[in-house]
Parts: sequence; C-alpha cells; structure tokens
Amino acid sequence: MSNVHVGPVYESVIQGVIDAVRVDFEENGVEDGVLEDLKKKWQMKLSQLNVAQFPWDPKPDQPSTAQPAAPPAPVPQAAPPPVAAYTQSTLSPQTTAQPLSLPNNIQPHSNGIPIKQEPGLARSEPVPIKQEPGTTSQPMHPGYNNPPHPNMAAARAAAALQNKFGDGAAASINAIHNGMVGQVNPAQAQQQQQQGHQQQHPQQQHPQQQYQQSVANQMQQRMQQQAQQAQQRGIAPNGLPNAQTDGPSDECWEAVMMRRNAEGQAVEMGRVEIDDLLHAQIAARAKQMEGGGLMLPLKQATKTRSLDNKKSRATAGPSQVDGGDDDIKDEDLDDDAINSDLDDSDDNKEDDDEEDDMGHMMLCMYDKVQRVKNKWYCTLKDGVLTVNGKEYVFHKATGEYEW
Amino acid sequence: MAASNNFYDLYRHGSLGLTLTDALDELIRDESITPQLAMKVLTQFDRVVAETLQEKVKARLTFKGSLDTYRFCDEVWTFLIRNVTFKMEGNQGTVVADKVKIVSCSAKRNEDK
Repeated sequence: MSNVHVGPVYESVIQGVIDAVRVDFEENGVEDGVLEDLKKKWQMKLSQLNVAQFPWDPKPDQPSTAQPAAPPAPVPQAAPPPVAAYTQSTLSPQTTAQPLSLPNNIQPHSNGIPIKQEPGLARSEPVPIKQEPGTTSQPMHPGYNNPPHPNMAAARAAAALQNKFGDGAAASINAIHNGMVGQVNPAQAQQQQQQGHQQQHPQQQHPQQQYQQSVANQMQQRMQQQAQQAQQRGIAPNGLPNAQTDGPSDECWEAVMMRRNAEGQAVEMGRVEIDDLLHAQIAARAKQMEGGGLMLPLKQATKTRSLDNKKSRATAGPSQVDGGDDDIKDEDLDDDAINSDLDDSDDNKEDDDEEDDMGHMMLCMYDKVQRVKNKWYCTLKDGVLTVNGKEYVFHKATGEYEW
Repeated sequence: MAASNNFYDLYRHGSLGLTLTDALDELIRDESITPQLAMKVLTQFDRVVAETLQEKVKARLTFKGSLDTYRFCDEVWTFLIRNVTFKMEGNQGTVVADKVKIVSCSAKRNEDK
C-alpha cells in the first residue's frame, strides 16, 4: 500500500475506460478527437487535485507531442538529412530558386553567386514545404479523416456547423468538404473566402470612411505601397512568404502556429491542440492568481452556496412572518420558531460534517463486519482511500475500532 | 449492458470518478456528447475501476480508531471513525487522520450477480 501505486492504477483505469467506450463513441457518431479530449480533460483534472504523482504529470505541457514522437535516440541521426536536403536543393540548378522572383541583382547563370546567396535561399526554403499542408488541409483537421466513415462524419459535421452558425460557417464547411473530397480545389475555397472578405469589406469600411475618410485613404495608400514593396521582395503583406497566404490583398489572414517535432521539422498545430495549450496556460495563470482558493470542485462550491442560502433563509424567514415587530431579538424568534427552523440548523451541522469528510474518505467493499460488545472488526477490500490530500489504493484492509 | 449494471457506482464519488464526471459535464455542455453517452461512460467506469482494483492492486493496510457513527442501510456500511491510524504494509509508515468516513458496499453481492 503506498501512494506510489496510485498513479499507474489510475492510469490503467483511464485507459481501460477510454478503450471500453470507444465502440460506444463510434456508434453514437462521435469523433475520436472527442474521446481524446475527454481523456486529456480527465487527466488534467486529476492532476489539479494533486492527490498523487501521475505518470502523465512530468510532461503536462505537451501530452500530445509525447505520443507521436519517436524515441529520443534517433533524433540526432535524423537531424542531418534535412540539412543535406537543403543544400542539395539549393545547390541544384535553380529549380527552386526561380519561382521566388528575387531582386534583379542576381545573375542566374554564374555559379558562384547562388552559393553566396545560400543563406537567403535556405531561409525562404520553407515555402514549398509549408505549401503542402496548406493545400491538402489534412493536418489542420486530423479528426475529420480518422474515423472509419470519414465522409459521413464530415458531412455530419458540416451539417451541424451549417445549423449552428448559418452562413458564417461557410469557410469551415468548405474546409471540411475539401478534406472530404481530398485535395480537390483549395483554390476554390480560397476564392470563396476572398469573396466573403470582399463582401464584408464595404460594410466595415463604410462607417470608417464617413468618419475619417482621409486617414483611411492614407493608410490604404501606405499599406498598398508596403504591399508592393513586400511583393517585390517576394513576401506577402503579412510578412509570410507569398505562396502560403490566401491572396494578395486581404487584410485578414490565418495565423498558423508551428512547433518542432522530434526531427526538428516544423509541424502545424491543429486548432484543438492550440486550444488545449491556451486553456492549460490560462488555467495555470488563474490558479496562480487566486492561489487555488476559488478553484474548488463544483460540488463543494455549490454546496457552500446552498448552505449560505439556507442560513440566510433561516435568519430572514421569521422576521418576515412576524411582521413589523423589530424589537424582538433573533434568539427570541428562534425560541418561538417552528420545527422547520430547528431542522434547518440540524441540516447545517450535518452538511458541515459531510463537507469536512470530503477530504477523508474511504470507498471500498466489505467482506466481513463483526462486532463484539463495543469492539468492531471489519475486513475491507478493493478500496480507494483519500487522507490528508493524498490517495491510496489497497486490495485488503482490516480495521479495528471501538464505539 | 446487463453485465456492467452489476457493478457499484460507489467509486464515482472518489477523485477518479468526480473528475471524470466533471470532464463529461464539460463535454455535454459543449454539446460534444449526449448525456446518454456520458452515462454509458460512467457504467463502463464502474466496471473498469472494480476490475482494476481487483486485479492490479496487491497492497494491504490495517487501521485503528474509535468509531463515532455506524450505519447499515441497503447493504451499505457507513462508518465515521475518529483518530484513525492507518498502517501500510511493510515499512511504508503510518498515516494519521482525525476523522475518516468509510463507505462500503458488500463484496459478495458484487461477485454473486
């Protein structure tokens, strides 16, 4: 019996439950991502309780990266190949360099200069690499492609989005459809998105122009100038390489968050991953600020509130009934009061007791409970014990106590 | 389904169960899952917890204290014990608590059915 065993046992319970309900989730048409979400939430809440050391605790920041990552050993070996690829591609005759439309001072035919330009080229090298995830859009929506019936799931998701958000969800639905059909035409989706932006533009800019037309014009001119300059340099107005953005002139652009996987390559993070990351950080900050004081379990929080309500009702109730006689003291009122008030105070006591017990509780099965006079003997098994903020699990426990 | 109904939902009141319930509540609020599905998850949880505790846990402990309240209702024993000393098996040391509530279901009924 020790606290050390709790982590692995809980871990296997969680895994067991997740595995057991996977079929139910599929039958209900719920995606695998939700199941993973449930698991993460469950583990996170357990960690917050801080009742034991859990296997997933040491790396709470990136639980998702730990699973797909390859064992750490091959990392140094795997690192060199990308470098080699870069040098090969940059040294090989001009194929990748041409679409970049670098400034005119490059002399394409002399072999010496491209080598000098290498750092610049290498830096813009990610352009063709990044393009892939953007066009296929698969990494952004891993959940849509995983289930056994991806088309059904995607169609259902699209329908749900349509129901919920109406036309506002057009972009997301397009993304789903793209994922469903494959990589049919992302360009179309982009066009539709652009159209959407353009339709929104006049509405947004109209009041602005009414108020400060000149300023807006100046801004636009400046932005256009900047955009032109940037395009000459082969960079879109938002600072990202040209090939990745939706289009040349729209001001809204999707941010893409990257992280490095085990091989040091940048990988796009999905929306869910980013959300989880943000949520974890916000939760951690909230806990810091409040010192954990307000982060009580839901049950406790509601319990205290209902207690307060009861108390206020107990004090406020009699005075209302009695009417205008303000001189009578509260104690007198209590003496005169009917049984319900007494019951209330009793209830409060009981509740207080139970509330205290929240921290010290044993849940188990009993094999035998015996009593000889005032001595009790009991044999318990398969239990979970919570004492002093720590949890223990046991297979068998024997207890002796006097009444 | 019938088989999983034979397990107690006792462990739902432990930290493992409460956190699972919280997580399920959040998913229901987000309309990611239905309440019915959440109930299925909880029944599976009842089964998995009971089996895991039976199979994976070997630890033993003994405890002593003075019994404050006892109650036996619907085959469930509830004890409120004061000044409890838990002794772990081996040299793991002792844990002392001024008050512990024990909720205990019959092990036999679980095996019979």
